[in-house]
Amino acid sequence: MSQMMSRTLVQRGLSAHAAIGLLASTLLYIVCLTGSVTVFYEEWQRIEQPDAPEMARIAPEAVQAGIAHVLAAEKGRKATGHLYVHLPTDALPRTTVTTDHQAVHLDERGDVAGRELNGWSEFLLNLHYTLNIPGIVGLTLVGGLGVMMIALSLTGVIAHPRIFRDAFRLRARDRGGIGLADWHNRLGVWTLPFALAVALTGAMIGLATVNGYGLARSFYKGDLEAAYAPIFGAEGRPDPKAAPLADVATALRVMAGRFPDARPSYVILHEPGTAGQQVQILALHQRRLIYGENYMFDRAGRYRGHAGLSDGAAGQQVAASAYNLHFGNYGGLAVKIAYALLGTALTVVIATGTSIWLGKRERRGYRQPRLRQGWNAIVWGTGVALALTLLARRCIGNEAPYMAIFWAALALMLAVSVALPERYRVRRALQIALAACLTALFPAMLLPG
Amino acid sequence: MGGPLTLLWAGAACAGGAMALLRLSWGRPKRSVALNGAAWALLLAGLALGAAGAGAWGVAVVTLVALTGAFLCLGHAGMMARPGKAAASNRRVHMLPQGREPLRLGGRLLTFALTVPGAMAVALIVSLAVRAASEGMGEANGNVLTLFLMPVLWALLATLLLLWPQRRRQMTLLLLPALGAGALWGMLS
Repeated sequence: MSQMMSRTLVQRGLSAHAAIGLLASTLLYIVCLTGSVTVFYEEWQRIEQPDAPEMARIAPEAVQAGIAHVLAAEKGRKATGHLYVHLPTDALPRTTVTTDHQAVHLDERGDVAGRELNGWSEFLLNLHYTLNIPGIVGLTLVGGLGVMMIALSLTGVIAHPRIFRDAFRLRARDRGGIGLADWHNRLGVWTLPFALAVALTGAMIGLATVNGYGLARSFYKGDLEAAYAPIFGAEGRPDPKAAPLADVATALRVMAGRFPDARPSYVILHEPGTAGQQVQILALHQRRLIYGENYMFDRAGRYRGHAGLSDGAAGQQVAASAYNLHFGNYGGLAVKIAYALLGTALTVVIATGTSIWLGKRERRGYRQPRLRQGWNAIVWGTGVALALTLLARRCIGNEAPYMAIFWAALALMLAVSVALPERYRVRRALQIALAACLTALFPAMLLPG
Repeated sequence: MGGPLTLLWAGAACAGGAMALLRLSWGRPKRSVALNGAAWALLLAGLALGAAGAGAWGVAVVTLVALTGAFLCLGHAGMMARPGKAAASNRRVHMLPQGREPLRLGGRLLTFALTVPGAMAVALIVSLAVRAASEGMGEANGNVLTLFLMPVLWALLATLLLLWPQRRRQMTLLLLPALGAGALWGMLS
């Protein structure tokens, strides 16, 4: 009786696994593939603009001067609400000022050295975060895909009772479906802790807006900022009266004296040039999962306290750890490489999942060549489309229409693959196209100019 | 080398050793409780050392070392495997009709509606009710609990809904927690 129940559970687990997989696999594949590439977000920016000034550190006075230069250049335009200064870090040793109107690099003296040109890196990050769908919809959709990945992990374990016992059995050379199933199951079981970690943190990040609105409506009279304030800290009260620029240099010096072990990575100036302006310094803490701690200063550079991401409530520390745990930027290049490899393994798990399902149907006599060709177009075409955007970055420049190129190329490859008769070997053609794009990319990205 | 780093290195070594031991244990024709137990104990010890050395960061790093070790063992197993002729599984998963079976499009759409927007809404309602009931644990903890609980509940509900294909059970599975959350709200307000 119990054996029958267990067999039924396994069968239903497999059906559930297949249902979720088939529903979400295309978008999940794009999100996983782009996630594996996005791990090197900082490195991509350096490749995109290799001639931007780099420095290990920058003096507080130079940061102050840089902010003044940027704001002076924006006189006559609508005042920026926030101003961000990215300070040099190990991964991205550059100083970059971003306002509502522009983003520019500073040199070591604080002079403006030129525009920030990281259009492709931003496109890639946006593709992973929102699938290029603007507003709350894209973010929520990707958060929902994280939920589906958790459900896929759970149903995958239920559907394969021997999955742990066979965890090191990889019949890589078997044909006729065994090899493919082994790759799927083995990579699946050994990426399970990683998959659960990135799926849960990704779902939390993606669904934070929906959940935030729920919290705001239920407990904070609709005020979204008030719902996040207990976690990440509150912004000061705005006062639009004109005032001298905040003393960021003093704030940075106070930071260095008072918290020598914390390394500032961002200065955020709220409402610059107004009486209500506030200086926020985000600082990295060594050997911590948190993305940093928010230190608050008034406009004279006097320390006013910190949010508590490093030493506050457990919830604050957990929330602040979700981002680094998701993106893998907590242990230098070694951790990034591990994340990229695990992400690639997860991408292979998704690719092989649908192929296994198609193979089973074919072995039962139900061949669906169009579906097969279409899936091949997604698996190999996504890489081709992404590589084309990177080639466009090199050939057209920073302003290339990445989004249009990616989605149009993918749609075209999908349409042609589905329309072509089976005798045309779509998979082989796409594999050759991907190899050609990658071959063209390496010299194109490495050569100067 | 400082104390925390020593603990971290020891944790990483334990994690790597645990994977090698698991490979040895699971490669035997018969299961060895002693070897399995030793491997899992070594892995737990590695994680504990990582936590003692550098908290959550240490646990994350030791986990990555363990996974890297597992992939090395798996790569070795793949390279050593000889080509076989075993038949692959043909298990049906009932995702698409075969032959003249009906498509049941309405039923499929209803399953989607229950599993995706339905389960999402119920997960949100329950998470907010839990937040309301957890006033004593602090505002930040309560809000973060909601942010994490909602996706976990949604995933669990989606899994259970698909494991129980009977419509009445599915409706009960969604209605019961939603009504429970509503009752909790009523009691608290």
